[in-house]
Amino acid sequence: MIEVYDLQKEYVEEETPTRALRGVSFTIGKGEFISIMGPSGSGKSTLLHILSFLDRPTSGSYKFQGKSIDDMTDQELAKVRNKDMGFVFQSFNLLSRLTVYDNVEIPLLYSNILPAKRRTFVEEAVKSVGLEDKLHIEAGKLSGGQKQRVAIARALVTDPNIVFADEPTGNLDSASGLQIMEILASLNDRGRTVILVTHETQTAEFANRIIRMKDGTIESDQAITTNRVRSNLK
Amino acid sequence: MLIHDAFKTATRSLAHSKMRSILTMLGIVTGIASVIIIMSLGDSAKLYIVGQIQSMAPNMINVQPGAPVMGGAPSSVMGITIKTLKARDVEALEREPSITNVSPNVTGSSRIVYGNKSKSTLWVATTANIFKMTNLNFASGYGFTKADETAYKHVVVLGSKLAKDLFGSNVEPVGKTVRFENITFSVIGVLEPKGSGMFSMDEYALIPISVGQKQIRGIDYYQELNVQIDPAYDTAFVKTRMISILRASHQITDPTKDDFMVTSMDETLNMLGNIMSIFTIFLAAIASISLIVGGIGIMNIMLVSVTERTREIGLRKAVGATERDILEQFLIESVLLTMVGGLIGIAFGAVIVGAIYFVLSTFFSIGWIFAFPISAVLLALFVSTLSGLAFGIYPARQAARKNPIDSLRYE
Repeated sequence: MIEVYDLQKEYVEEETPTRALRGVSFTIGKGEFISIMGPSGSGKSTLLHILSFLDRPTSGSYKFQGKSIDDMTDQELAKVRNKDMGFVFQSFNLLSRLTVYDNVEIPLLYSNILPAKRRTFVEEAVKSVGLEDKLHIEAGKLSGGQKQRVAIARALVTDPNIVFADEPTGNLDSASGLQIMEILASLNDRGRTVILVTHETQTAEFANRIIRMKDGTIESDQAITTNRVRSNLK
Repeated sequence: MLIHDAFKTATRSLAHSKMRSILTMLGIVTGIASVIIIMSLGDSAKLYIVGQIQSMAPNMINVQPGAPVMGGAPSSVMGITIKTLKARDVEALEREPSITNVSPNVTGSSRIVYGNKSKSTLWVATTANIFKMTNLNFASGYGFTKADETAYKHVVVLGSKLAKDLFGSNVEPVGKTVRFENITFSVIGVLEPKGSGMFSMDEYALIPISVGQKQIRGIDYYQELNVQIDPAYDTAFVKTRMISILRASHQITDPTKDDFMVTSMDETLNMLGNIMSIFTIFLAAIASISLIVGGIGIMNIMLVSVTERTREIGLRKAVGATERDILEQFLIESVLLTMVGGLIGIAFGAVIVGAIYFVLSTFFSIGWIFAFPISAVLLALFVSTLSGLAFGIYPARQAARKNPIDSLRYE
């Protein structure tokens, strides 16, 4: 599903170039649950941004579902982000004055799906995170955990193949965090690829593969065959 | 993004900050309202003035001595005396079947005296025809006749204001005598007031042509001819007929050597109308400066809004909005602001124009004409929409070009 080879990313900040990625290569198959770990400054966020098309690498190749992103225009990238990718952020990024329904509907607004169909999709997505009773409540009035569940519903509403989660539990208490991770794990169980960025080992261990980054390179890339956390849950 | 969704998104975000949206619109509302008011009042004034002139002197064609000067003033205005308009011209014109009346005149200014009161005034020496031609009505007495002209009778018809100034409102002027140019005139008539129109005779004294031309001035030419045409004929046709009659009478073969200028009332009215339109446009242009100020206000608020909503823009881009989607969203917002502002401005302008009409016609009994030109409304709508686009494009571009990563991190 994802093939990257020798990804490099350089920023110029206040005239000093920073090499955020110094040659990163790996492949991610369909249905994997990957955690990208590492201390701050290790390049894990930069990598996630490139993988999710929010940023382009300075050099190196990136093939998404067999297609090189070098051959895609910004508009095509936006279309893929809309159809095939879901996003969950640390700070939720909900529009607090809109209702849960309207927040979840946002990605559909950019997909040219007719309003009648959108209603079903939104309701299904909200139901899948267990917030169907909060559908018409303003997002700003929800608790942190509920907000993140709305964000997950928003990520799911277009039925994407892959979900990117950037520190999704970072702003939550441990009980809510656990709930979020359970939802992400269940998404993976139903065949979606999940790529998670975190610095918490406990959160990372929900995955079946952990990529550890340091100074812009991959320090280790290990598969977890017997998933302790997930078997505990079951 | 579907256009319906784009509108919904835009109206929703404008509705979230109602007070701000209303205040932002105020600039456009004032600008559009002032343009509408000026254009409507300009139209009303034009209709009113043209109507007044038309009611006083219908089907009139004026002949001035001197060569026609394109776009310039007739020679009489420049202080040059041209003595080419004479009695034979009047006779020649009177023979033309399409002309019903010809009235030559000679004017002068003098101090008119009654008892111990006196007033500086303009006298007009003319023929009895003038009373038929210009819809002048008598408040008392009557006008002089052709017989009075041939008999050199020292009679005078006074304009309403002149009569009031000399005699006050308690004395009946008819039958009294006044003195000017060393001649004693008997007052035989007083005209009804005509208002302050261009052809108002309110301040003039009218005397027979023979007395003014021969006795007072001692000349054999006229300063002006006014011709009334048969309404069955086309003005332009009569005008060409008059030109050829006058050329024949003056033995002119080369049209460039014409020593007279023929202007129909239509032309004068058109010219006047044009001048008033230009004046109105000029005023409207000044008023539209406030639209620019309003537009800058919109731009300012939109820029603030773009900054405030940085995270929203970042999120929308992350979930699949293209630069175009974002650009459209913000442009629709600014155009909605200016369009709604424009509509409110038009409504507001209509109320003011209506109020002015009501006050003028009810309290000042002026025959004011209510005008609310559709062209002004369309122009206002067009301009307000355009200003939304013009002043919204920069903030919208700023929004569209935001980098999603930085935007999502924005605190």
